[in-house]
Amino acid sequence: MSATATATLHPDEKFKAGKAGQSLFRLGLVGFIIFIAASLIFSTSAASHYTAEDLKAAPTLSASGMGRFFYAYLIGWSWILSIALGSLLFVLIHHAVKAKWSVTTRRLAEILSSTILWIGVAGLVFVIPVLAGNKDIYYWAHPDAHFPGAPGKSGWLSPAAWAARYAFYFIIWIAIAKWFEAKSRKMDEIGDVAEEGHTKTLSARMRWLSYPMIVVYALSVNYAGYDFLMGTAPKWFSTIYSVNFFGGCMMAAYASISLFAWMLQRSGRLTRSVNAEHYQDLGKMLFAFTFFWTYTAFSQFMLIWYANVPEETVFYNYRMFSEWSTVSWILLFCQFAIPFTFLLSRWTKRILPVFVAFCIWQMLFHWVDLYWNVMPHYHWGADIHGSAVSVTGPLSGPVDNNTISFNPVDVTAWLAMLFFFVAAVGRGMRGNLIPIKDPNLGASLAHENY
Amino acid sequence: MDTPDNTSVENGELYGVLAEFDTPGALIKAARKVRDAGYTEFDCYSPFPVHGIDEAMGIKRTILPLLIFGGGITGLLGGCLLQWYCNASAWHWNVSGKPLWTFPITPNNVPIAFECTILLSVFTSFFGMWILNKLPQVWHPFFRLDRFAKVTDDGFFLGIEAKDKRFDLAETRRLLESAGALEVEDCNLDPDPETRRMPIWLYGFIIVSTVFALVPFALIYRARASHSKEPHYHIFSDMDFQAKVKSDTAFDMFPDGRANRGEIPGTVARGWLEDDSAYWRGLTQDQGGEWITNFPAQVQITPELMKRGQQRFNIYCAPCHGYDGRGDGMIPQRVRKAGAGALLPRNLIDPKTGVITMPNGQVFNTISNGYNTMMGYSAQIPAQDRWAIVAYVRALERAQNAAQGDVPADKWNEINGATP
Repeated sequence: MSATATATLHPDEKFKAGKAGQSLFRLGLVGFIIFIAASLIFSTSAASHYTAEDLKAAPTLSASGMGRFFYAYLIGWSWILSIALGSLLFVLIHHAVKAKWSVTTRRLAEILSSTILWIGVAGLVFVIPVLAGNKDIYYWAHPDAHFPGAPGKSGWLSPAAWAARYAFYFIIWIAIAKWFEAKSRKMDEIGDVAEEGHTKTLSARMRWLSYPMIVVYALSVNYAGYDFLMGTAPKWFSTIYSVNFFGGCMMAAYASISLFAWMLQRSGRLTRSVNAEHYQDLGKMLFAFTFFWTYTAFSQFMLIWYANVPEETVFYNYRMFSEWSTVSWILLFCQFAIPFTFLLSRWTKRILPVFVAFCIWQMLFHWVDLYWNVMPHYHWGADIHGSAVSVTGPLSGPVDNNTISFNPVDVTAWLAMLFFFVAAVGRGMRGNLIPIKDPNLGASLAHENY
Repeated sequence: MDTPDNTSVENGELYGVLAEFDTPGALIKAARKVRDAGYTEFDCYSPFPVHGIDEAMGIKRTILPLLIFGGGITGLLGGCLLQWYCNASAWHWNVSGKPLWTFPITPNNVPIAFECTILLSVFTSFFGMWILNKLPQVWHPFFRLDRFAKVTDDGFFLGIEAKDKRFDLAETRRLLESAGALEVEDCNLDPDPETRRMPIWLYGFIIVSTVFALVPFALIYRARASHSKEPHYHIFSDMDFQAKVKSDTAFDMFPDGRANRGEIPGTVARGWLEDDSAYWRGLTQDQGGEWITNFPAQVQITPELMKRGQQRFNIYCAPCHGYDGRGDGMIPQRVRKAGAGALLPRNLIDPKTGVITMPNGQVFNTISNGYNTMMGYSAQIPAQDRWAIVAYVRALERAQNAAQGDVPADKWNEINGATP
């Protein structure tokens, strides 16, 4: 209907990655090595799964703090995974709805989503130990774990099946991310025409493939959320859990793409192609998924609170009536109330320093969200009757025992993952940072919010 | 429009001038020029929204978002207030023992408050948009110009009203022509002011439809807490009057004129085999009998029967009468806590008022058919189990009213040893 304004790429615009990728890669690698070393050192002083009394009463329980390292690593790893997964859906939706506004930021999302290959490699740090028989990462791998109410769980949550699914998810995600990036870069060379041997143009092929891939994506992310994160509390039940994780992924993606664009602009690139209009739209989506995250988190909470079934309330019991209640309240206000109130307004999304501050804020509390989701499962209870010891796993034993037990490794493992991600982004940053021959580039450059 | 000859139309007062432009771009340029010349009473007309026209015309940003925010806040507070008043203030509504109200909101009240927020935000944005855009606008002076019909197709127009302070017919026309107008036309109002008035039938329509819209509410108000001697309206009469006959009614179709077809030979109806009045009804004989004081012959008092009676009692009787029979089960405890004045369950083991004063047959009958607010349990508990409960209640009475002498001497020491 509306007349579409178009513009052309400014002749002075710097849209080449140049050497920025290599320096990012070096920076990321150095940071990763420093922080992973620090994490390993700190984890030696970390508490084990069990309380001091349990360890004293049952010397057979493992007193090693290495489990803490894996938990902190898993949280940081999920944090970077959520950025890549969110960016992947950004690309898919862009094609599915023939989006115009997001053309200038699409390549950034493609670069972020392509890091999924390296994230898959980073995950091996805990996948290989689980396969090798480590029973301190996931409680379901522990010989004492059993699921009286849901016998099917023990088959689903066995190391071999779990690792096979890990491989399956990553093959899917890597294939989607790499294919869409490759076709997008191909378009930079030959324009939006049909490749040899095909009748459809590149943009039409990407569009047609995006529809089924959104379904594949939704299912794989859903089960990945159950397997990687909810797997830390295997006795618990919640079907909306992964939807909540997905909301976090999208929030992280919109914040990260904005931060990525902002940092590139600081280096003198894309200064004219990404402007307040694009930031405002990214901000709208950030706002929308901030609320979506809250909506799903509250849905999960309210149904469990209302139904009051012990198998389900255990998740909140150990978060509301232990030390974790402080973190729960912080999450409610800092991940929802404060950003919601401020991102409502138009100007907070259009004035770049303010918007960037909110993006950093949301990324920070997205980590707190994952921390809150996983770390309360670090304390494992144990039934000790003389020499008969049975580990009852996370969310068991006295609620007061479920302390935060903060250790510096929690943060250093996260920072290690952040630098790992920076290195992975550096690897992927090459060629054009804008799809220069996209048919909708002009519309995106001239994009304007009413 | 079939009045192409503009001169034959009578013209009244000058309303303004209308200029047509070729493209959206030309319209934007012209709008900017008119704004820069200091005009304020002008508007642009186009077949579709034109990017940048707001800025070109110097229109301030709409206040609609603020109104929507206000609407949302009103919805949020209204939703909270509604639930607080309905469920926590006017009528305490206990659902699954959840708190009635905790400040600022109870989790179970969030969905309604959320929906009210959405509803009022959307209403404000929808109706606010109409009002701020001065819609619906059914008539406009420019409709008198045939050229203006193109605005729904491919015409881009800019009209300046004569009431603008800077308006000067010759000067304004020159300005528009220099801005690239294809054509500039004067627009006069109809000399007859009646044509500008809203048709009288439209007022009538609005009033009548408003009154009709209120009819359901009036009916609801009238029917509120009232009784009627009139029969119902039968909206679904085939549901109210079904093509079937009920038992023991007259029916002409059969020779004997009855709907009942009698029992089929060789069948026995439910309950017809329950001849033994002692076992099934707790009476010595059905007509003019007394409550039996012992147990019927079919009921042998064995440890198994007592165990069974205890188990059945704990399932069916204990929720009200309590596990010890003192009438203090979970339900009366909650009733008392809620301050409701219901008839409370009887203390079964009280030596004066309890069922100890009743013959066995009467206890059995009470279990079977109920008493006061207690309903009968004959549907849930088979007769044998009801007798088992009677036996268990007897044991309960005995145990709860036991004296020291009832305990054998050797056991007594045991008890004393346990509780020094």
